[in-house]
Amino acid sequence: MLKDITLGQFFPGDTIAHRLDPRTKLLLVVLFIVALFQARGWVAYGTLTLVVAVCMTLSHISPRNIFKGLKPMIFIIALTGVLNIFYTSGTPILPGWIITWEGIARAIQMVLRIVLLITGTFLLTYTTSPIALTDGLELLLNPLKKLRFPVHEMTIMMSMALRFIPTLIEETDKIMSAQKARGADFETGSLMDRAKALLPVLVPLFVSAFRRADELAVAMESRCYHGGEGRTRMKQLIFQGRDYIALALGVLLLAGIIYLKKWGL
Amino acid sequence: MAEIIVEQLRHVYSAGTPFEVAAIEDIDLSIPQGQLVGIIGHTGSGKSTFIQHMNALLAPSAGKVCCGGQDINESKLSRRDVKHQVGLVFQYPEYQLFEETVYKDIAFGPKNMKLSEEEIDQRVREAAGFVGVEEELFEKSPLELSGGQKRRIAIAGVIAMRPGVLILDEPTAGLDPAGCRQILDNICAYREKTGATVIIVSHNMDDVARIAERIIVFSHGRVVMDGSAGEVFSRAEELIEIGLDVPHATALAMALKKQGLKLPEGIYTHEQLLSAILEIRGAAVC
Amino acid sequence: MSIIKFENVHYTYPGDQLESLCGVSLEIEEGSFVAVLGHNGSGKSTLAKHMNAILVPTEGKVTVCGIDSADEERLIQLRRNVGMVFQNPDNQIVANVVEDDVAFAPENLGVEPKEIRRRVDEALKLVGMYEKRQHAPHLLSGGQKQRVAIAGVIAMEPKIIVLDEPTAMLDPIGREEVISTITRLCREKGMTVVLITHHMDECVGADRLIVMSNGSVVADGLPAEVFADIGLMEREGLTVPETTRLLYDLKQRGMDLPLTALDVDACAKEIVEKLRG
Repeated sequence: MLKDITLGQFFPGDTIAHRLDPRTKLLLVVLFIVALFQARGWVAYGTLTLVVAVCMTLSHISPRNIFKGLKPMIFIIALTGVLNIFYTSGTPILPGWIITWEGIARAIQMVLRIVLLITGTFLLTYTTSPIALTDGLELLLNPLKKLRFPVHEMTIMMSMALRFIPTLIEETDKIMSAQKARGADFETGSLMDRAKALLPVLVPLFVSAFRRADELAVAMESRCYHGGEGRTRMKQLIFQGRDYIALALGVLLLAGIIYLKKWGL
Repeated sequence: MAEIIVEQLRHVYSAGTPFEVAAIEDIDLSIPQGQLVGIIGHTGSGKSTFIQHMNALLAPSAGKVCCGGQDINESKLSRRDVKHQVGLVFQYPEYQLFEETVYKDIAFGPKNMKLSEEEIDQRVREAAGFVGVEEELFEKSPLELSGGQKRRIAIAGVIAMRPGVLILDEPTAGLDPAGCRQILDNICAYREKTGATVIIVSHNMDDVARIAERIIVFSHGRVVMDGSAGEVFSRAEELIEIGLDVPHATALAMALKKQGLKLPEGIYTHEQLLSAILEIRGAAVC
Repeated sequence: MSIIKFENVHYTYPGDQLESLCGVSLEIEEGSFVAVLGHNGSGKSTLAKHMNAILVPTEGKVTVCGIDSADEERLIQLRRNVGMVFQNPDNQIVANVVEDDVAFAPENLGVEPKEIRRRVDEALKLVGMYEKRQHAPHLLSGGQKQRVAIAGVIAMEPKIIVLDEPTAMLDPIGREEVISTITRLCREKGMTVVLITHHMDECVGADRLIVMSNGSVVADGLPAEVFADIGLMEREGLTVPETTRLLYDLKQRGMDLPLTALDVDACAKEIVEKLRG
């Protein structure tokens, strides 16, 4: 059951979207998010939806995968929709109703905004391996090293965490089965009972996580790890022509959306 | 008494997806009360999936498992009850210890059975006795103990539920020879004293050959052999073919036969091999 | 020439009363395959951890490739010569992709990217995991993970590889994969291999067998010689190969057999020849 969770899942592939430099994709996502929050009218929303659809096609990610990822967010999305429908003043759709035409329009736009936001970031994680992502992030944040910001430490922590997610999930499954075999009950009882029932799972999980951390530290030191200083990379990130083109298109999109905003579209 | 009967058992993982695989299928077995059964098979042969059906941790995709005449998956209640009757010790069980003291950890199972305080106390002491854990250790934290001790405490935690059927998945994995021997002795003692059925899954053929009355061989999700150690290990070539080891004595007997020595079939212990060779020598001398 | 040298090494873990190593002296020849056998708590893992300065002696001296392990200035230089492989393969793989993990050590050493690529490919081919270079480590079998861990240390191009119970968590197939891989590294690449284990089967192919007990070396010699002292092995709670045991028992019963045939076929040949007179 726990194995079904998709957390920043990566779908290997060889599309243009996969081949782009992770830094480019990170910057594009930032540009896209800014553009999304500048969008005011239907034309802007329409354009952004179209852009996302094109990106999905280019990266061979099916709508089904996106829906799967959106599932856990459905509650938040629905809530946003409902709140906007009821709490926007304007012309009622029927005399005496609370629901207004403006409310419906706003609800649709807000829902669209969240869906596009999530889809946009999914496209990044679906097409970029976690390690490329952290590499890209480290390089983008490199200038911050001058301000004594621990960029290398932060990114290695991120990639380590990603590496151990599947291992720890598998371990949780095993410990739960073992405790169930000893008669532990995780499914019935009050909320408090169930929280208590998790103790026999969480304690061994933490103990094992600390043991793993200990062993991993020794293994890393044995492989000459001594911080970020003087490290090289096997996979060098180099901007290609396609990266410049993609970034230019991204900037153009943002400029366009801001221009549309001026006209209220 | 708790005879286990397995009928046409089948289990499919990821049903309905392109990754659908049958982990086990067509399993028909009956294990009478009190038998000591060894299960062997390589990783991924379905043996772990099989044992998780014995106490309803996994539900069959088809077929059924009966324990003491009752279908264990019949109701929520039967699924709970069977966990008290069939004790399952997972691989590396020491990783499930969580209480502050050894005593409390062993008491976790009986407590979940909602037994009285005295009953729990009695069972904890009895279970600790079976695995040779002294009472001085009761108030210690399980995390301070050695690997072998932790393993025995974890096994005691299952024994304390007094299961009529005790199933252990690789109980000796990762232990040194002395630790292995001690655990197997503890398990055999438990069976002798209580008359429980014991099922041991192991990669160690010498251990299985030494203690099991019956050996069941899994391969690709099916039972491919089922019989006494002598019967199973007389088919040594087949075992090797499906990627399994044979006991060291069997391997050596095969090498001797290859050299032309006429040894009887089904040798699987050092003593058998030794006496067979001495017999041949005796015959030659006479 | 000896590549590892222990001189009267004592070690006590912080907070412990008892010594875990009590005066170990030994030398390991370059290019040899040495197995270290002992029960849990015999000090064999502590011994291993001294070989790449994870632990430094409380008394005595360890020299590896001519470098004193207590010399902190030359720590990295020492460690890049000694690849360490540990028991749990999950806890020594750092990256999400096999080849990125193998690249970890040379990246730490500041090797040129092109050279890293070459070393990674070569190391993966050596352990037979090149086809799986793009895979996620958590989807591999135990034996495969352990081979990736071995590739990860070979990529440092060390002279020595020390394995601390590398097969304890593996099934028989995984064990066979690991043992045949390290045997090949020693025989074909001339690497010095130190294998810590409690499986006597794995020591059969070694050039030398050291038995540890309570922090001291209690036996040291050719595997066949060491195993032939069955009394000692039993006192140490260790098992001996079926071959040695059978030859020993037959000898006890009046058959005049040498105890040196460790290999199953060689042993069978000895016995059959003797029986035929």
